[in-house]
Amino acid sequence: MSNTPAGQPPRKYEEEPPPFGGSWRALYGAVLAWLAVLVVLFYLFTRAFR
Amino acid sequence: MRPLDWAVLIAALVGIVLYGLWKGRRTRDLDDFLVARHSMRWHHVALSIMATQASAITFLSTPGQAFTDGMRFVQFYLGLPVAMVVLAATAVPIYHRLRVYTAYEYLEGRFDLKTRTLAAALFLVQRGLSTGVSIYAPSVILSVIMGWDIRWVIFVIGGSVTLYTATGGARAVDNTNFQQFLIIMGGMFVAFFTIVWLLPADVSFAEAAHVAGRLGRLNAIDFSFDVTNQYNFWSGLVGGCFLALSYFGTDQSQVQRYLTGESVAQSRLGLLFNGLVKVPMQFFILFLGAMVFAFYQFNTPPVFFNPVEAERARAGGRGAEFRALEADYAAASAEKQARAREFVGALRAGDEAAESAAEANLLAADARAREIRAGAVGILKEQSPRPEDTNYVFLNFVIHHLPAGVVGLVFAAVFFASMSSCASALNALASTTVVDLQRRIVSAGRGERHYFVSSKLATVFWGVFAMAFAQYAGQLGSLVEAVNRLGSLFYGTILGIFLLAFYFRKVGGTAAFVGAVVGEAVVLYCFFYTRIAYLWFNVIGALAVIAAALVITAFWGGRGGAEARRADEQ
Repeated sequence: MSNTPAGQPPRKYEEEPPPFGGSWRALYGAVLAWLAVLVVLFYLFTRAFR
Repeated sequence: MRPLDWAVLIAALVGIVLYGLWKGRRTRDLDDFLVARHSMRWHHVALSIMATQASAITFLSTPGQAFTDGMRFVQFYLGLPVAMVVLAATAVPIYHRLRVYTAYEYLEGRFDLKTRTLAAALFLVQRGLSTGVSIYAPSVILSVIMGWDIRWVIFVIGGSVTLYTATGGARAVDNTNFQQFLIIMGGMFVAFFTIVWLLPADVSFAEAAHVAGRLGRLNAIDFSFDVTNQYNFWSGLVGGCFLALSYFGTDQSQVQRYLTGESVAQSRLGLLFNGLVKVPMQFFILFLGAMVFAFYQFNTPPVFFNPVEAERARAGGRGAEFRALEADYAAASAEKQARAREFVGALRAGDEAAESAAEANLLAADARAREIRAGAVGILKEQSPRPEDTNYVFLNFVIHHLPAGVVGLVFAAVFFASMSSCASALNALASTTVVDLQRRIVSAGRGERHYFVSSKLATVFWGVFAMAFAQYAGQLGSLVEAVNRLGSLFYGTILGIFLLAFYFRKVGGTAAFVGAVVGEAVVLYCFFYTRIAYLWFNVIGALAVIAAALVITAFWGGRGGAEARRADEQ
């Protein structure tokens, strides 16, 4: 199962590091931490204007 | 619309079509047409993903939802960032390593042809019909608000998208999606700041927000657990996560967007950026709707925002009664405006007792206005079983209150939102038709040129199909609603199949296939015989598929040693 076009070498798969942020694990953690921050902000927002 | 608005709208539409044709002019083979030769950087992938998900209804209906129901809808998206992390870590490397054109190709390598064909067929039926609806829904709103002929609106949206998608494929789609999304968000920001600017000079932005909040429109989060409640923290986090896993991980219109990434890293970053930005973006659009609500606490709104329905009621048998209710509503609104100013005065003075009393008066005035509106809606129900104006609130406000130029910009944003999601869908439908059906089953072994031309023809076919379905969707009534619900009925099952493929190496094709049938039966039972909120169907469907497949595997055995090793290699 490969759709490599004729005349092109097979695409080499590599586990590349992210261009910033150190590691993928750190970036995943940052996304989840940002979600937690948003939930806290939404809670404070709801309370402030209730 | 004024001449400046027309100029902005026409320039935007003509400009984007020419841009799409220009960007796609070098598309010369199948790899380019389907995945843009894996050449896209992460910011293109990210914005294309976001433009695909955000249809015109997102930008028309979401502000209206905040206007009528508050901001709790934002919780629907709380599971999305979790899903982005899961997919970036698992699905993206698998799809890239196998160099698939469609998500369903992977299922044949992992299970068998029948499972691949089942998933591809479910996608074609569901996405083909929903693309027609996604053109029809904004077209009917634009035609009602502006008095335009709906057939022409459908033709402009569907025809222009089909033209540049059939010409340039994924490269044209990703590049136009990128530009369209920037203009959409630009239009929304301009609209938001104009609303704030239109607030009365003696009422600050924060005071207007407090008025909206006291009237229940700034309710962003609700931690109470209730499976019959569509939008709370738990249904959004868990149900929303499963929905997003299914939509972004198995729906070809999204998978194709990140398959265009030039590497695993670029595709991953595109998904993670979506995980960072999507929730705040939805919050902003809902907050825009809440500020429209705040605006109408100091200005008189129409009793019903759909002008065609309201006009029909005025001309109907109970027209005199409807007009009297309109006058009553205007008087009640004036009373409410006075109470809102009284509340703002108490808030500013910092007098808690006066603030509580003013809030009670404001709530009473709001209840009175809502009672009158309910009477008017009762008359509307005699001519239409379910009169609905949520989708009309924002555009009605735009055409009556925003300045020249801004109206054209917002209309361009609505067109672009519809075009971007439609373009991705056409590109994905063509890919699945050619790669999963034609090249695999109908006419295997033909040259690449044959499938490249077939992909262009399939794009045109699905574009014409979507436009034709959109033309007749208005006459189909409940079928349109059925199509909209179709996604939530099948997403859980499809996700279950993919989760088995990714994480349960011992499960074979037959167990997965039978598990899918059992899972779908469970979802349909929940839909017809329970009051469970639909977001939970995604969780129930996926878990039922996995449980049934695991039971079958336990009793009848799983994949053999060699077969399991092949699965591990994938």
